[in-house]
Amino acid sequence: MKALFFVAFIVYAAAVVLQFTGIAFKKEKLLKLSRILFVAAFAVHSLFTIVRGAKAGRLPLSNQFEFANGFAWGVALMLIILRSRLKGDWLSVTAMPMTLLVMTYAALQPMEIHDLMPALRSGWFGIHIGSAVLSYSAFVLAGCVGLRYLIVSKKNGEGEKQKLEQMDYLSYRLVAFGFLFLTIVILSGAIWAEQAWSSFWTWDPKEVWALITWIIYAVFLHLRLVAKHKGARMAWFLVIAVPVVFFTFAGVNTLIPGMHSYG
Amino acid sequence: MKKVLNYLRSMRFGILLLVLIALCSVAGSLIPQGREISFYAQTYRSFHGVILMLRLNRVFESWYFIALLVLLGLNLTFCSLVRVFSLVGSRNLVSKQAAGLPDTVFLSPEGVRALEDALVNRRCRVERFGAARVYRKNNIGRYGSFLTHLSILLTLIIGALALYTPTVIDQSCLPGEALTMADGTRIGVHDFTIENPTGQLDFTSEIQITLPDGRDSGPRIIRVNHPCAFGSYKVYQQTYGTAGSITVTNLQNGGSDTFTLTEEVFLSLDGANGLWYEALYPGYLRDPSGNVTLITSTSGHYDDPVYQVLTASDGVYTPVLAFPGDELQIGELKYSFNAPVEYPGLRIKYTPPLVNALLIAVFVLMTAALFITFFLPPVVVKVDDEGYTVTGPKPEGMRIELGDVTAEYERKSEE
Ligand code: HEM
Repeated sequence: MKALFFVAFIVYAAAVVLQFTGIAFKKEKLLKLSRILFVAAFAVHSLFTIVRGAKAGRLPLSNQFEFANGFAWGVALMLIILRSRLKGDWLSVTAMPMTLLVMTYAALQPMEIHDLMPALRSGWFGIHIGSAVLSYSAFVLAGCVGLRYLIVSKKNGEGEKQKLEQMDYLSYRLVAFGFLFLTIVILSGAIWAEQAWSSFWTWDPKEVWALITWIIYAVFLHLRLVAKHKGARMAWFLVIAVPVVFFTFAGVNTLIPGMHSYG
Repeated sequence: MKKVLNYLRSMRFGILLLVLIALCSVAGSLIPQGREISFYAQTYRSFHGVILMLRLNRVFESWYFIALLVLLGLNLTFCSLVRVFSLVGSRNLVSKQAAGLPDTVFLSPEGVRALEDALVNRRCRVERFGAARVYRKNNIGRYGSFLTHLSILLTLIIGALALYTPTVIDQSCLPGEALTMADGTRIGVHDFTIENPTGQLDFTSEIQITLPDGRDSGPRIIRVNHPCAFGSYKVYQQTYGTAGSITVTNLQNGGSDTFTLTEEVFLSLDGANGLWYEALYPGYLRDPSGNVTLITSTSGHYDDPVYQVLTASDGVYTPVLAFPGDELQIGELKYSFNAPVEYPGLRIKYTPPLVNALLIAVFVLMTAALFITFFLPPVVVKVDDEGYTVTGPKPEGMRIELGDVTAEYERKSEE
């Protein structure tokens, strides 16, 4: 079964290499092929995730490997959906390597399937962790759009203006989507914590970093909507926020001891 | 004065508070909280004085952190109030104002028709003001931001109640026994198991709660993540322990009694001769020469339990290791060592009525409010025979969508 994961990994990597070759040599065909490969990798990745879930008899999201695997899957899924719905492909250049990066992190984690520990056996498990996958994926993709924005804005041509505006709006939509789901993560986590440990909130490091991430994106929303900040400054904001998302996702569990140190 | 008040209710101040709360939280997550002073002295050496002075060892209970939360609450209250005044009664005004706006995009008559078709397809309702038509939908979206901030404010208030009003006690209880709370509520434990029938670790207690007025929960099963709520009580499966079990038989009259033992005790008839129960160990190792080493730590199971006891007989004390099934006779009493008994550690929480339900209702409100804010943005488009303009608090999305529709159309009409 592990083979499926590594096949997906290698095909994602091939897609990324082809993409950069296509960009470097300005070969549209290579770019097209890289997109097809990416979808193929995603299909294998989905198959792996389903098989793993069936084997474990539960949602495959319970330790660092499974969560990272789900996170990469979420990024790839959103990228493919957005690519099919938007007129311009503003995401692939940055989001395909990002998928590969998260896959690489997953590949470095222990992959054994373990029984779900009693504290994780709850109906809230799927809602809480599933929402986290969606939310972090959206924030990371918003960062990818931000990065692309910064690259395109360097060209500064008149034709780019409309493109930039649409990218700016797309990144806002992604943040809004991620923010709604991060709110669900925090609220469902609070209800679950009350069911498991009796208190809605314990200032556990993972809770605290989810709150910090939430505040960071709340500040983004206010700056953009109320203070009408747009453009490169906000794109930088989104790029810089990505490491915080990664820290909340992976750093807290590994670097700070707490109740969420499961995987 | 007015300036100060204006600042205190401004979004700028709100954002400043949020950033400060985030910074305190970073400190509170990186510096271990609530440890003994010596820990900070050892870990942070010369900095530990600063950490203690700034209360960074207990950030989340510090006066300044609580003050930030209170100020955020006040700031949210004021800005929500201002917002609610501007929302009330402005529904019709929005359309009227929109009708008076100049066009920002000019279209050919075919373009206007295509645009109006697109708006109707998007289920917009139309209002007419002379030559101007105002297309609207998602009016509810106007309340999204207000409801979002209101729900955050309520979460702060009710969340504080939910965190600070309950009383929580941790207590263990042997199967067959009951705990009595200060108000007379009884919580009985009928049974406790560590594993489910398939051998999977699954701590499960069968309990029963009886309220002072006689109402009774009946037997209920609790396990990790599945507490039992009854009245204002919620009982959690928290931890577990393992106790020794010794049956003492009086050989003279045949009477017997079984004792469940969690601490040192002397089992005797006359107070001089008998058995001192000292401890129960989960397992042991025996080397080739027959020496026994007791194992003190366990991952849960008492695979080879060993009783450490002391016999007292006519002033002579002898240490003995006994195993389940063993029997010892001292004077008139026979001591039979049984398999150990597992018992649950319960967490018992008393919450004033309604607090939890209110908090969960506010959580639902917040989720719904954010959904409305982000996914049902109010659409206000004014169209006349020359062209159109998109207005409202969030015109961006519609501008892009309609821009696509009209650009496409114009391209066609040019052909
Ligand atoms: C506690 C954290 C807060 C969160 C999570 C939050 C969340 C939001 C959200 C989601 C929006 C809508 C953004 C959009 O539609 O894109 C918004 C808008 C807004 N927020 Fe906040 N907010 C917070 C605190 C505050 C505070 C303290 C103020 C200060 C007065 C404030 C003032 C505003 C204003 C003026 C708007 C503009 C939109 C409108 O009023 O309709 N917010 N906020």
